[in-house]
Amino acid sequence: MSPLEIEVARLIVQTLNLDIDPAHISPDDPLFREGLGLDSIDALELSLAVARCYGYHLRSDDPDITATFSSLRALCKSIEKYRTK
Amino acid sequence: MSAVPLLGPYDDDDVLAWQKGRAVTCGQFLAQVEILSGLLPEPPAVINLTENRYCFLAGFAAALIRGQTTLLPPGRSPQALSQIARLYPDSYCLSDGAAGAPGLPFFSLPDLHQSAAARMPIPIIPAAQTAAVVFTSGSTGQPRPNVKTWGALTIVARHTAVRLGLGAGEKISIVATVPHAHMYGLETSIMLPTQHGWGLHAGRPLFAEDVRSTLAQVPPRRVLVTTPLHMRACIGSALRFPELELVLSATAPLSMDMAREAEELFLAPVQEIYGFAEAGSVAMRHTTATHAWRLLDGLSLEQGAADCCVQADYLPRPIPLPDRITPRGAQEFVLHGRGGDVVNIGGHRASLGDLTLRLNEIEGVEDGVFFAPDERDTGNARLIAFVVAPERSTAQILSALRNAIDPVFVPRPLYRVASLPRNETGKLTRESLLGLVQACRARFSDGGP
Repeated sequence: MSPLEIEVARLIVQTLNLDIDPAHISPDDPLFREGLGLDSIDALELSLAVARCYGYHLRSDDPDITATFSSLRALCKSIEKYRTK
Repeated sequence: MSAVPLLGPYDDDDVLAWQKGRAVTCGQFLAQVEILSGLLPEPPAVINLTENRYCFLAGFAAALIRGQTTLLPPGRSPQALSQIARLYPDSYCLSDGAAGAPGLPFFSLPDLHQSAAARMPIPIIPAAQTAAVVFTSGSTGQPRPNVKTWGALTIVARHTAVRLGLGAGEKISIVATVPHAHMYGLETSIMLPTQHGWGLHAGRPLFAEDVRSTLAQVPPRRVLVTTPLHMRACIGSALRFPELELVLSATAPLSMDMAREAEELFLAPVQEIYGFAEAGSVAMRHTTATHAWRLLDGLSLEQGAADCCVQADYLPRPIPLPDRITPRGAQEFVLHGRGGDVVNIGGHRASLGDLTLRLNEIEGVEDGVFFAPDERDTGNARLIAFVVAPERSTAQILSALRNAIDPVFVPRPLYRVASLPRNETGKLTRESLLGLVQACRARFSDGGP
């Protein structure tokens, strides 16, 4: 995992109170439904954490949003692209 | 009151909805609904699965005109839909995309935008007509139907507007982050605007930036219908929001601190609604001004044999409250939190008994139980489950559960154990389960799941 992926994996586990080791999140596994099994309440919590840490405001009408949430790696790519802090 | 119009006071050119970037006038809506009502299949009941709020409204209105009952399942899981299909075999699914319930006829909503506006009278619907059946997950594993007559839905809409101080025919725009196919969303984002001649936005913004941009698409006076979860995301976003008239919140009680922060952010009063599917909206409060909840007009509290109940002329019988309360005089009460078996996550209520039943129905599960470790009703604290299933993996059980229950209740985490700490009578006490949580967490932090 890249340093940003390790950082965001920690953020996900911390924000969503997951009982897993961040190092065990596979960067290409799906975050929602299967995989980590996250849902829209988690998406909301995660959007808040991402806005606070990186100044990136997620939007549902962004055509790339499904891709952004598809995996840890994809989320980190979007954060890298849109982060303001 | 033997009949109530489908809509409140709109002129033909008044905007009834904003849908995919354009305004739909009342005249256009009536023309579309007239066409749609002629196209709907024959069965007397319709499971309205439409994702878009305007499409839902059009389907709901067309069904009302046809005298059909709209069925609202407790969730979208295949099992929940099959159960409704078994209870109402003479029904069909109306959808604007997603698949329907297995074994039921399926009607795909046609594109209605081509139909021209027409000058036509607003249809009148009998007050006694069953407009909707809202299902809640019962403790026996069977969804429980809650019948809503057209008269009851319109009365609650009127009483809500009166309490909010907003009048029929005023220029109000509603934006809602909540689903329209649950009781709170049906009442506040469908019935409330359409019975008062207001406009509603068809979208369902999720993230803070979605809420901001959706609000910006509608004219003032804007009313945001939302939940503590969405508000928390808005408060934390540091975004600036368009000017608001009012914020309505429900699904979980707001803390005083959060209500204050939300009022500072939105520069508008935050009103809370307390309600539940069985009775609909029951009480309101302006959280920063008062701790107690005031019943809507027409409702009263009465002490039943075991529980405190609400009663109204439009309710079929006194309905027990799912939460613990202390009455304060005849019209007010203080809310203490959820009742024993009921859990509430993001506005989805379920009974732990029912969830446990579903867990035990999974093939290979020998014993299992759902547990809510946190007694506070914060709206986002997840459930824990323990399962004895030597032949099944955690992933297999979670996957089966996702098909059987509303996904918000999928346990986090699910612990596999050798046995449950049942006492001599076979019961599981809260203390023994709390002990098991600690033991499992300790085991987990040592490395093994």
